[in-house]
Amino acid sequence: MTPVSSKLYADDVSLLMVLVDTNPYFWSSMKNTAFTFPKFISHVLAFLNSILLLNQMNQVVVIATGFNSCDYVFDSSTSSMQRAECLLEKLEDFVDKDESLSQEDSVDGVGFSLLSGSLSMALCYIQRVFRSGPLHPQPRILCLHGSPDGPGQYVAVMNSIFSAQHSMVPIDSCVIGSQHSAFLQQASYITGGVYLKPQVSDGLFQYLSTVFATDLHSRSFLQLPRPVGVDFRASCFCHKNTIDMGFICSVCLSIFCKHHKKCSTCGSNFGEARKQDPSASDQRRTSDGS
Amino acid sequence: MPQVKIVARNFMDMVASLPVMKLDMLYGNSFICEAILRSLPPLAKKYVLQMLYIDIPITAKSMEEWVLPDGFSKHKVAIDRLIQLRVMMETFDRKKEATYQLNPKFQFNLQKHIVHGGILPREPMPSNITVRLPSLEELEAYAVEQWECFLLNLISSSEGGKTTNISSSMMKIFKRGLLSQRDDREPPRLTESGFQFLLMDTNAQLWYIIREYITNAEERGVDSADLIAFLLELSFHVTGQAYNTNTITDLQRSIIKDLSDLGLVKLQQGRKESWFIPTKLATNLSISLADTTSRKQGFIVIETNFRLYAYSTSKLHCEILRLFARVEYQLPNLIVGAINKESLYKAFQNGITSEQIVSFLQQNAHPRVAERIPSVPENVTDQIRLWESDLNRVEMTPAHFYDEFPSKDVFEAACDFAREYGGLLWEDSKRMRLVVKADILTEMKEFLRRQKQ
Repeated sequence: MTPVSSKLYADDVSLLMVLVDTNPYFWSSMKNTAFTFPKFISHVLAFLNSILLLNQMNQVVVIATGFNSCDYVFDSSTSSMQRAECLLEKLEDFVDKDESLSQEDSVDGVGFSLLSGSLSMALCYIQRVFRSGPLHPQPRILCLHGSPDGPGQYVAVMNSIFSAQHSMVPIDSCVIGSQHSAFLQQASYITGGVYLKPQVSDGLFQYLSTVFATDLHSRSFLQLPRPVGVDFRASCFCHKNTIDMGFICSVCLSIFCKHHKKCSTCGSNFGEARKQDPSASDQRRTSDGS
Repeated sequence: MPQVKIVARNFMDMVASLPVMKLDMLYGNSFICEAILRSLPPLAKKYVLQMLYIDIPITAKSMEEWVLPDGFSKHKVAIDRLIQLRVMMETFDRKKEATYQLNPKFQFNLQKHIVHGGILPREPMPSNITVRLPSLEELEAYAVEQWECFLLNLISSSEGGKTTNISSSMMKIFKRGLLSQRDDREPPRLTESGFQFLLMDTNAQLWYIIREYITNAEERGVDSADLIAFLLELSFHVTGQAYNTNTITDLQRSIIKDLSDLGLVKLQQGRKESWFIPTKLATNLSISLADTTSRKQGFIVIETNFRLYAYSTSKLHCEILRLFARVEYQLPNLIVGAINKESLYKAFQNGITSEQIVSFLQQNAHPRVAERIPSVPENVTDQIRLWESDLNRVEMTPAHFYDEFPSKDVFEAACDFAREYGGLLWEDSKRMRLVVKADILTEMKEFLRRQKQ
């Protein structure tokens, strides 16, 4: 892995990867509130414009996080003008394609959007920028996420978070849904980004411009929202349930909700759990962190 | 030693020094608002964005709550800059508390930008009219060539081969600070600031010329605000695209002509229409003037034995090297020389400082050596500095000499007095003579007059 090479640009030149949640089930659940998808997109567009306004070397890339797929919908380095039209057109194509991939007709609840996929795409893009030469802007990722966490993506999301941490890319998260997201709390906590759940979603632009427009250089001088509490709960590898307590493989640290004879990840054989005392020593809290 | 320094600060200082009326007028142009915003320090940009949709004045106290204790000095700088450029207005409310609000014109223009996105100043011409446009590399080469040609013309009016078309009156203005001519028979000589000018990087030089161009605009009957507006607007054009000259005013057309001589734009003539193509020099105008850190490839290799190899075909580079080095021979793509005591003494006499030479060598280091740290051998940089300090062994202090004191008491009192003020340089108590610094002349006079009474 190439290390983050020294930058020669001015301090505040940034590359912002914006992950936009386009999960149709989530947005249809928001229909009855005042905050609808078109409104959301108009806030985001204004925010993108303002980032590009701040410095002409700033770069913005938008990745749509759909229900079945994710894709790049906008890159400011390739499209010059008419940003809004360009982005909206691509976004519409993406939503249509994403919909056609759906096999089942009904999903219970609002479903989960493919956060792990878009996070990996963002990181891949950033890696490419890192390798392009010594002159590159400072990257960061902003997740605009509304759907609940998909426990099935736990391992993939955590892997993305750790690779972001490794390449020193902060992940900012702005939660627009009604619940907090444990994934994003952990992502921002581990990578040193900002986690925020706006109180008034109508004023999203003000939140975005006040908190998330701050370049990495200025962050050391400004008061930004600090994490209140981080939900460190993990998902088990066997049934993808979110658990408080579970079993951990002593060899590869895989997490299971039930006792198994053999680790499904690394294949080590476990000894018999003592039947008389189920809460004995090899059952540990998984919330001790990574 | 008199310090003549060319102040190549930045464009925005010049904008800030414009009268209030003109500044407010400039903010009517959305490109200027954009360029000004981009030139601000990062924290100031952030504040503008944050306050963009706040219509009521914000108290200074609540703004201070935005920053961490570490960032307080940066906060102060940001606020001062915003007020200086009249982006933010400072008012005092009834309780004498300072409150801030954005300049309404500025605010309106930026809001418009954020909602509608950026727009181009003018549409580029369709490619079926402009038959063959120069590629970006060709354009870059053209810009560099024009600029070097201009510089050569500037420093040696006789040489340079191709002469530029800049009117002689303009040329005179540019030369004013850089060259001096004692009488007509002698060729003009570079002044101290002229030498310093040549060692600056291209952006700083460009800025110096543009600044002269702007400050002398009024003499030519051009409003400096109009000129600044047009130059900033030009920087928002796309490099390498053709723009029809019909879309600009007569005044702007004459400016474009001047700029094409400097290599900022390339003029082309079609069958019916003519167009201009901005080069990188023009589109970098608004940033490069704000910070002069952009880099280009260097060409100089220096060895620890003080020999200097410059991989360049440019006549200008040769001229510049001649300022402080002895050029020994020249091959088609290589200039070989050496730095020695004599060549450096010549440079120091011309008012070039060792720091300028060292930073020039470092900035223009060949890519092969630029990766090394230090890119210029340490013994060379140290020696350059040592030779300079050799010249400054004698320190001069303006002073006054006193003698013929009426009595020993008066003399000693005067000595004590001068010592108290830190101005006593020398005393000779036998002959009652004393030398004091010129700074305390008035105090000394006053003291001696009182002694007489």
